[in-house]
Parts: sequence; C-alpha cells; structure tokens
Amino acid sequence: MSKTKIDRRNFLKVLGLGGAGAALAGCDMPSYVTSEEGVEKVYSYLAPEEYVIPGIGVWYASTCTQCPAACGVHGRVREGRVLKLEGNPDTAANAGKLCQMGQAAIQTHFHPERITQPTIGGKPATWDEALALINKKAGNASWVTGTVSGHQRVLMDAHLGTGTGRHYAIEVVNSRPWEDASAATLGDARPNLHIDKARAVLTIGADVLGTWGNPVKSMRDYGNFRDAPRGVLMAVEAAMSLTGANADHWIAARPGSEAAVTLGLGHVLMTKHGISPAGMPSAALAFKNMTPARVHELSGVSEAQLDKIADTLMANSPSLIIANASHAAAKTAQVLNLMLGNVGQTLTPGAALAAGGLAPVTGSSKDLVEFAMNAKAGKVSAAFITGTNPAFLAPASLDMARALDKVGFKVAIASFVDETTQSCDVVLPLSSALEDWGTHVPAFGGNPGDVHVQQPLMERVHADTRGLGDIVLGLAKEAGVDGLGDFEDYYGYLRTAVSAMIDSDLEGDWNRVLQAGQATSKSAPTAFTTGGDVALGYSEAVKSGGLSLITAARQGIYDGRHANLPWMQEAPDQISKAVWDSWAEINPKTAAGLGVKDGDYVTLSTAGGTVTTRVFTYKGVHPDAVCVPMGRGHTNYGQYADNGVNPLSILNAPSGDMTASEIIGSATPVTLSATGDNRHLIRLMDIDSQHGRKLVATIPATQFDRNQGGA
Amino acid sequence: MSADRPQHKPFPWIRSIMVTAVLGALIVIGAQVFEQQLHPVQPGEAPAPRVPGANFPADTFDGKDVPQPINYSHKLHAGDLGINCLYCHTYARRSKVAGIPPTAKCMGCHTVVGTDKPEIEKLTAMWSKGESPAWNKVNDTPDFVHFSHERHLQKFLLNNKDMSIENAPDVCAMCHGDMNQVGVAKKMKPLTMGFCIRCHEANQGPADCTRCHK
Repeated sequence: MSKTKIDRRNFLKVLGLGGAGAALAGCDMPSYVTSEEGVEKVYSYLAPEEYVIPGIGVWYASTCTQCPAACGVHGRVREGRVLKLEGNPDTAANAGKLCQMGQAAIQTHFHPERITQPTIGGKPATWDEALALINKKAGNASWVTGTVSGHQRVLMDAHLGTGTGRHYAIEVVNSRPWEDASAATLGDARPNLHIDKARAVLTIGADVLGTWGNPVKSMRDYGNFRDAPRGVLMAVEAAMSLTGANADHWIAARPGSEAAVTLGLGHVLMTKHGISPAGMPSAALAFKNMTPARVHELSGVSEAQLDKIADTLMANSPSLIIANASHAAAKTAQVLNLMLGNVGQTLTPGAALAAGGLAPVTGSSKDLVEFAMNAKAGKVSAAFITGTNPAFLAPASLDMARALDKVGFKVAIASFVDETTQSCDVVLPLSSALEDWGTHVPAFGGNPGDVHVQQPLMERVHADTRGLGDIVLGLAKEAGVDGLGDFEDYYGYLRTAVSAMIDSDLEGDWNRVLQAGQATSKSAPTAFTTGGDVALGYSEAVKSGGLSLITAARQGIYDGRHANLPWMQEAPDQISKAVWDSWAEINPKTAAGLGVKDGDYVTLSTAGGTVTTRVFTYKGVHPDAVCVPMGRGHTNYGQYADNGVNPLSILNAPSGDMTASEIIGSATPVTLSATGDNRHLIRLMDIDSQHGRKLVATIPATQFDRNQGGA
Repeated sequence: MSADRPQHKPFPWIRSIMVTAVLGALIVIGAQVFEQQLHPVQPGEAPAPRVPGANFPADTFDGKDVPQPINYSHKLHAGDLGINCLYCHTYARRSKVAGIPPTAKCMGCHTVVGTDKPEIEKLTAMWSKGESPAWNKVNDTPDFVHFSHERHLQKFLLNNKDMSIENAPDVCAMCHGDMNQVGVAKKMKPLTMGFCIRCHEANQGPADCTRCHK
C-alpha cells in the first residue's frame, strides 16, 4: 500500500473531470485557436465551372497505374485537389472496386520525394538542355518499361520503328507462364476467366486474390463463386498466399515441384476417373509416368491429397485450374482444363482489338534477363527506362550494375529517384498518374474492346514535370515519325486517336468518353485452337531436406515499387501481419530443427549472396521452403523504403531456356545460420492466443469441412 | 471488495505531473483572459426578433480591423445598394462553406460599373493577370469544427415559412452581425463554442459532440 491515495485509476478520473471542466469553462474564451482573424488567406475561384462548388467534391474518371491491371477509377476533386480514389463502377475490369495500392495512388501523387526537375549526370538542368543531349546521344534507343498498353505503347512502337532498339517490358510479378501456356494450348494468351461460374477452383502458384492477373476482378468473382451453391477453392503452393489463406484445401508442395503435382493430378484423373487428354499422346504419356508415388517423392504431396483434389474437381464441374508457378505447371494445368471440359465454360476466348497496337505488352522477367544479357554484350546503345526498376529487381547473378554500365546512354523517365535512376545519365521528371493523360487496355478482366482513359485529376503539383505521353510524343516527333507533326501535345494526339476509335470527333462524344473513363475499340472475338499434341514436363525440385529460398509478392509493397509509400509500409502484410520490415517465413518444424525461434536474425546464403533478416515461424510454408516476400531492401528509394532486405537479389536468375521459369517461381538452394541476435518482429495483432476469452468463435477443421458444399 | 483484488499500482511522479498540469492550465487560462480583454465579448441587449421562430443570439464581439488587398465595402454593396448576401455568397445555401465570390462575379458588374475607381482598377489588373485577391480570413472556425452554412440556411431561411429569400441578411446576421454596416469584413460575433452551444440550446439545435466535432 503506498502513501499516496492517487493511483492510476484515480489519476485518470481527475484528469477526465478536470479536462471536461476546463473545456466547459473555456467554451466562451476566444483563444488563439478559436479567434484567428486575418491569419489564414482565402482565395476565390477566378471563373469556376457551373458545377464547381467549394466544399463539395466532383468525381472525375481516370485510370489507376499503380500495378499493371489498369483499373478504372473515380477521383474526388475538391477545390482543385484530388483527395480520394474509388473504383469506377462502369469499368468491367474492376467494377467499382479498388485495392489498397490503388487507394495509395494519392500518396504517390502528393509524395514529398517526387523528382521536380530534370537532371543531367545528377546535376539540375532545364528541359531544353536535357532534350538537346538526348536528341544528340539517344539514337537507336531501346525502351525499358513495365507493362504498357494503349497509345503510349503506340508511340513507343513508332519511336522504336525509327531505330534498331527494342522494347523490354519488365515485370517480376507477372502472369507470363499462364499467358505462354494459354497461347500454346488454346491459341489465346489471355482467355477470359470465369471464377464466378466455376464450382471448384484450383490455383497452383497463382495468387489470384492477391497479385496475379487483375486481383480486384478476381476478388469480385470470388465473392460470387462463394455464394450458394458455395464453390470449393483449393490451392497448391510452397508458401501460403492470400489465395491459399482463403482456400478450403491448402496443399503445401516442395518449392519448384508444382509441375510434378499438376502432372500427378492428370495421372489420377486418367487412372481413377477415366478421363484422358484426347489427341494428346505426349501429354497422356507424361501423366502416365508421373505416378502418385513419384509425386510424393518430388513434392511431398501424398496420394490421398491428390485423390482429394481430383475427386473435388470431378464432383464440381465446371471447375477452373489456374497455374502460374512455372511454365511447365501452367501448360499442364491448361491440358487439365481441356480434359475436365472447363475450356468453353470457365475459360472463354478473349477478344483481339482491331487496333492491335493498343494491346498490352505484358512484362516478364524474361525481358529482364534478356536486357541484362544484351546490355552486357554491348547490344544496347541507349535506353529509355520508365515504370520499372531493373537494378532493384535483377538477381545479383545477372550483374545488372555492369549491364547498365555498358549501356551507352541511359535516360530515366521517373517520378522518384531509385536504384536505376541513380545510374542514368539523364533523369526526366515524370508527372504523376493523376496529372497525366493516357489510355490503357486491361490485360485481364475487361470487356472486349475496353480502353480505359486516364485523364488528369488536378493541375501538376510540380510545374516542371511532364507526362509520359508528352515525352514519348516529343521523342517520336524528333526522330521523324510520320504524321505526328500536327500534334502540339499528347492531349491533342490522344483526342484525335480516340475520336478515330469511336468514329466521332464531336466535343460531346469526347466528353462522354472522359465521363465514362473508357471507350470501346472495335474488336473481334478470338477462337480457341485446340487439339494439337502438347509436350509436358517438369523440372526436378531441390531434394527433400535441402532448404529452398522462394519469394512472394504481396499486395501493398508489390514488387517494391510501393515501398516508398508509408501507407503501404504501414498496412500489415496479408500473411505475417508484419509492418515496416522484412522477415523470413519458416515452418515451425524447420525452425525447431535449425534451433531458431521467432525474431531470431538469420543469414540466408545462396550462390547469389546473403541477406540477414528475422525469422517468422508459420505453418503455412512448406518445411523445405524459406519464404522472404519481395519489395523491401531498397538502397536508394527515399526515406520510407529504407528497411528490410531484398530476396530477389540473391535468387538464382533463370538460366538457359528462358521459357522454363520465371524469377518469381524459381526456388534457390539456401542455407540458414543464426546470427545470435533477436528482436521482436512488429506485427499487427501480435499474439495469436485469445487468452481463453473466445474473442473469435472457432470450430475444428473437421467440422468446418462438413459444412462445405461439395467438399 | 474482495480481499484478493489486486491493488492498483501507485502512479509515480503523480504530484509533479499534477503541479505542472495546474501551472500549464493557469498559463492557458491567463492568456485567454488577456486575449478576451483585448477583444471583449459584450453581453449585448435582448435583440429584436429578426428571424421568426428563432432566438437571435445576443453576444457580440469587437473584432480587429484586418487589412485586405482590396478595400471592398459590404456597407456599399449589401447596405446602400441592397444586394442580397446570397447573390455573391452563392455557395452558402449549397455547401458547408459560403465561399468568396469568384472574381468573374465581381467582373460581371465591374467591367462596366465604377471602372475608374482605384480599387476596381486593382481588381481589374488582378483579373487580367488571372489572379484572385488573397483575402485575409476574418471569421474562422478551427479545423476540428464542422460547420455547415447550408444546414443553417435551410433551417432559418429556406425551410422557414415566415421568411423569404430577401430576409437572408437577418439570418446571416445571427453569426456574422450586420455586415451591411462594415467595410471589407469584421468579426462581430465571438464564434466560440459557448456561443454555438447557447444558440443551439435556444433554438433546439443538436447537442451531440459529434455533430460538430467529426
């Protein structure tokens, strides 16, 4: 018992009562806060539009460019500033929804670290000086970009047509295995997916609800898919993704063995359920050879698990298998879709735009590797780099620093200083997406012929920045591309081009396009070409017992492009709920075997180098895998991105046959050693225990299964 | 109270914290009293019933004379010429803010009226340069107060069957005083929370904290 009567509880009481009393007494006191006179300035509009009312927002349509999905957005503009984004309900690709990365476009736009003026060799310069230097030295330049589409792509193609450079579209987080497999088996790289029409969905290394394809569209379809009769979701992957976390059945496969599991599924479907790939003897042979025993040996997936997947797929038709773990897995999955009769039901032909030049050039890590190889061989004389960060994304084995060094003349067109811009000769300050004009064709989820229109939602925050379209148009004009001489700026070009697309140059029709945020281009439905034989294969995964390093993209930081946004750093990771740092997801069994626990710093060593980060033990990762999500560990991306480690840097670059694998699917042998340090990993909802209070009602997994339709 | 209930832990440094808090409170209140002496809130006499169905707030406030970029006169425009408040402050009935009229509205008249006067010449020069005057804000509520002009005009003017739109100045005067008697602008009502609360009590306005502090 202490001498004083005031304990914490009494202190709070006194504080509360005293505070309330002071507030009441102070109500009539005009203080410095309540009686400001002549302190703030208030400006009127000069001549506002009729519908502009101060204090009331006006919503304008535009297009999100935070990831390659190109969702339509509505932006709330008040007193000349854009304050909030929401999904555009009229664009089919996202149907009124927007993900957290799209919401954070506001933060990208108002970011304090934006590049505000051109630099030459790191020193401030004027646009005239920078463009003069570019016109002198950037002949035969290549374009190094992320995914591009629409009229920006048309102009880039036109600019490339004047020289010998080529286009490298780099995305480490991509759907390339799926696209290549679809092209090879169905003759259509991007068939329409109908998750909502499927009764069972199996994903194999494709985080459809997180980062694959258009996750916003997938999440909407997933909502309908789960309506009665409830569809069954299954996921095969080495480390749990957002999709895996939502799945009824989550099957952990050894990293790199996903193709073997997919083949084994074909084996079970052939032998147990009597369906076979008609007219595909090679595929049938590959299925036959991949016995469940072999699958178990390669992947750790048991025969019972394979049976369960096969039974569920057979009992719930139509189903849909989406694979992106590797090219081999994706190709096998498409053969399974054909066998199961899903093609034509949950997979339907896409559409080809009449103006093919508008179609998206989707990025891949194949282009990253090819850019590094060609640059090191001295085949890239000059490069314009925009919308991608090869110096950060490339594994150390590609030696991107040397590759960039070998490029004669490099121009970065960027909003932020990053690892790539720091090695560029000229940096041109790019307008934010909310200040720029453009058109975008969504690669996934749009209706046939959908062209999303991007329009500025406010004046430029930094007067000396320029839009991407304006810069490319200027370069193309300078390079002597025919027919561009009449256009003073990209707006003029875009308006003429869109008018031609909609067969009307009336002001009213153009305004309708801007209001809707989209225009419809003429398009023709494609037809599937199936029936040819398909050779299937798999690559040997690392043997049991050896650890493999894998990485994962998470919505938020994504491939690292949003690591400079505090909102995305602060938004907890979907799996670990960690914030502001990296971590290594390790199965508790593996951790026990290695003698490490949560928060222990471990050094991960691969052939490509080492990184040191903290352990996060988690059952949703295969015992042979160590998963370090990508995107953190920047060395030069501003104050907010200065945390974590970059697992991409120590992954093996895909070697040899580039169709075999993508960086995101590659598993790299790794060894772990504890450094001896331990520090608590900061996570939302830090403790998993409910302290016996039943805060969240739970039922055993066995009981849960019985409640599921069809499972 | 059961014996096994744990004792609350004594809070260390409690006395020094409380002494500091009291000293701080005294300083704040002292500063406010000082401020009040500079610009006293006058109790005011019972005003004439200018707005039917409403209790007109009595408090007044003697605000500073704030210099402005253009020496506009409310007395001339709203008083002598009888232009309705809502003609220029057209946003007041549509939005939470009344808004300063767009320069285009001033120029609607002043391209032909009074073009030889020096203040109009200043305005015309700004207009031709595409600039708007940087007025110094006189009536200001803190950012944590949500006040809607639209809502108040609806209650006292637009939905008040005994009032017509010509009576707008009487409603505006509830919080702004008789602006048709002053130059550019002067704060004539205290606009403190006490002022708001008294009027809300007299006129059955909402009393929830969150209606204004949201």
